[in-house]
Amino acid sequence: MKKIETKSFIQDKFAEYYQRHAYTIPPPNSIEKREFGFLLFKERIMLRHKGFQKVDSLQEFLKATVPSDVYYSGAFYEKPEEEMEEKGWLGADLIFDIDADHIPTPCAKVHDTWVCSNCGFVGRGAPPETCPACGKQKFDEKTWLCEVCLESAKAETMKLIDLLMKDFGFSAEEMCVYFSGHRGYHLHVESEEVHALDPMARKEIVDYVIGIGLETSFHGLVERRSGKKSPILAGPDLGGLGWRGRIARGTYEFLLTATPEELEKIGLKKAAIDVLTQHRERIVESWRGQGPWGIMKGVSAQSWRKVAQRAVEKQSVKIDTVVTTDVHRLIRLTNTLHGKTGLRKVEVPITGIERFDPLKSAIVFKEGVVTVFVSEAPQFRLGEEIYGPYERQRIEVPTAVALLLLCKGAAKVE
Amino acid sequence: MPEAAEYVKTLDINVDELSSPEYESILDRAGKRIEEAILSNVVGEPSPNDDIEIPSFPIAVMMVAATNDPLLKRRYALAEAKRVSNLLKDESKEKVREISSNFNWKIRLIETSVGSLTYDFALHFTDFLKNATGIQDKQWKLVNRLVLNGEVYLTKTEVSRLLEEEVRRYIEGKLNIKVGLLPQDIMDRVDLLQRLFMEKRGKIRLEELPKGISIIAFPPCIKALYDAISSGRHISHVGRFALTSFLINAGMTVENVVDLFRSLSDFDERMTRYQVEHIAGGRGSRTRYIPPRCDTLRTHGICPGMNEICRRIRHPLAYYRRKLKIIRAEVPLERA
Repeated sequence: MKKIETKSFIQDKFAEYYQRHAYTIPPPNSIEKREFGFLLFKERIMLRHKGFQKVDSLQEFLKATVPSDVYYSGAFYEKPEEEMEEKGWLGADLIFDIDADHIPTPCAKVHDTWVCSNCGFVGRGAPPETCPACGKQKFDEKTWLCEVCLESAKAETMKLIDLLMKDFGFSAEEMCVYFSGHRGYHLHVESEEVHALDPMARKEIVDYVIGIGLETSFHGLVERRSGKKSPILAGPDLGGLGWRGRIARGTYEFLLTATPEELEKIGLKKAAIDVLTQHRERIVESWRGQGPWGIMKGVSAQSWRKVAQRAVEKQSVKIDTVVTTDVHRLIRLTNTLHGKTGLRKVEVPITGIERFDPLKSAIVFKEGVVTVFVSEAPQFRLGEEIYGPYERQRIEVPTAVALLLLCKGAAKVE
Repeated sequence: MPEAAEYVKTLDINVDELSSPEYESILDRAGKRIEEAILSNVVGEPSPNDDIEIPSFPIAVMMVAATNDPLLKRRYALAEAKRVSNLLKDESKEKVREISSNFNWKIRLIETSVGSLTYDFALHFTDFLKNATGIQDKQWKLVNRLVLNGEVYLTKTEVSRLLEEEVRRYIEGKLNIKVGLLPQDIMDRVDLLQRLFMEKRGKIRLEELPKGISIIAFPPCIKALYDAISSGRHISHVGRFALTSFLINAGMTVENVVDLFRSLSDFDERMTRYQVEHIAGGRGSRTRYIPPRCDTLRTHGICPGMNEICRRIRHPLAYYRRKLKIIRAEVPLERA
């Protein structure tokens, strides 16, 4: 009984939103060539292969149907309403998805919980390999949106913007950044020149962004021989272009604070670890010239390569690789609601992204209060206020907060 | 020497004139081009007479197109493309730029030194990717290039190599144009060449995989996925696709693959069967899918790290073939 009430409460709220705000939903460019998909509240199925000639008919459809989630294709098709093989792919935007799930965060996701599907054992953080109680390996995971996670996702997004501008030459006008309404950011490159890129080409772009397959020898980390002397290791400098500079800057940052444990973890021997941790000042100083490569006695070329590989990891952007390479992917539509939060996918201004606060900007229900019964929820912020933690209690909170708890399955309508 | 770009672009011919005697030597040269492509992957010494050499190319293209044999088309396009890149070796940078522009590449001549390297060209990254993703070498991975402001920095030799790919695809495109009815004497020449190719191909036929699945010959990535699924652990979509397509190609039946997924908590028999059949080529497009290449698996975090055999191969199925061979070579020894 309660479950149904909660569900229809959420649905009523979503209906209210689309009645009042559907007109704010911007049409994707070439709307008539896009496929749309809708996750339905009642049936919990995805209604796919829909097409709309104009934004008005899409907006009317949303008011009438009130889906829990709304998606459109990054791709353009001749016939978007046909089955996949008949659609006639014409091209696709280049899309990146940065999700907190893919980023190791300082909060170690303590707000997330998992439940063993076999015995019901509950734990915090990411689920273990095997259940400590019964040894089975299947878990249901519950994630939460937290400021720390969202901040790291934003930091990754800023890294991505920087890389796409400097290396790939995209202008701020060609890129759109969005907060997804849940735990991450989307970046769309809508420039004509990327439309025709095939999945292989997109995979190469992904590898560039995440630094996979990168060999430091192609970026200036090489041993040079002059005359009969033994070879001298040379490496990139801080002002280097493309990945060269990133390797140098990553190395600079890593060695500034690297603990012996961190250095051991990347496979360095004790002698090298001692040198690198005891001569930090000399290393910092060396970046004024050619960098520390080859001048630290006791650190072999092999060790430097390991340090540089760690630098690549630090400088790479943690994106969801599948989203970018899949040229038929459906993406959440801007200004529509996220079924897991009741928040909206909103555009983020590229200049000023530092000051963007997703937990304020994505709120849609700004009026009224609702009483709900919370089974369990960690502490969180929404808007200016901090809420929780809650455990088995009845609370009266602003509509947006109640909706978030309800959508997350952490509360019921009272 | 004819300009390489025009050379591949003069492809309009009047079919009716071909049977006249003055075409004899052109047809001979065209046939020779194809024959050498079949036998040794080159198109050989050009005729010293431009009036023969130049028209012999479009005619050869037409003859290969008439065979309707995709493998022969590929082989011929590759041989012609190699020839073009060889011709480019002696051309000036300016000429190379001109030819690139003929293919609508966004390319600039530069002279930039970075480290110990001097780059001659800056090419838009989309033009680079269009041609470089087909080349299997670390140096051609975008992540190993200097990429700046949308351009990839390249030497003249590298641009020539990329042009070779462009020309190959261009010729392959031409080879796929439908050819109308050709005069009988030309069809006779075509048949002869096709027979020659069949003979040659008989010798290079790929070895087939044996029946029965050998789990100990699985590469580490597939083994990890297989173990995960067997113990009911969740694996990603890419992982499921890689595992399924691998098993199907290694000879497992749709039935057995579906069974493997049965232990998953979200198992849906109808859905799983549909997807496995689709991958096996029993539905929709009717193409049987092959597993992703190693570097694609690496991109999506499926690769758990390489072992000795991995370093020598680029595809999980190649690993499987190689390992099977090793195992088979070892077995008699153990018995002895």
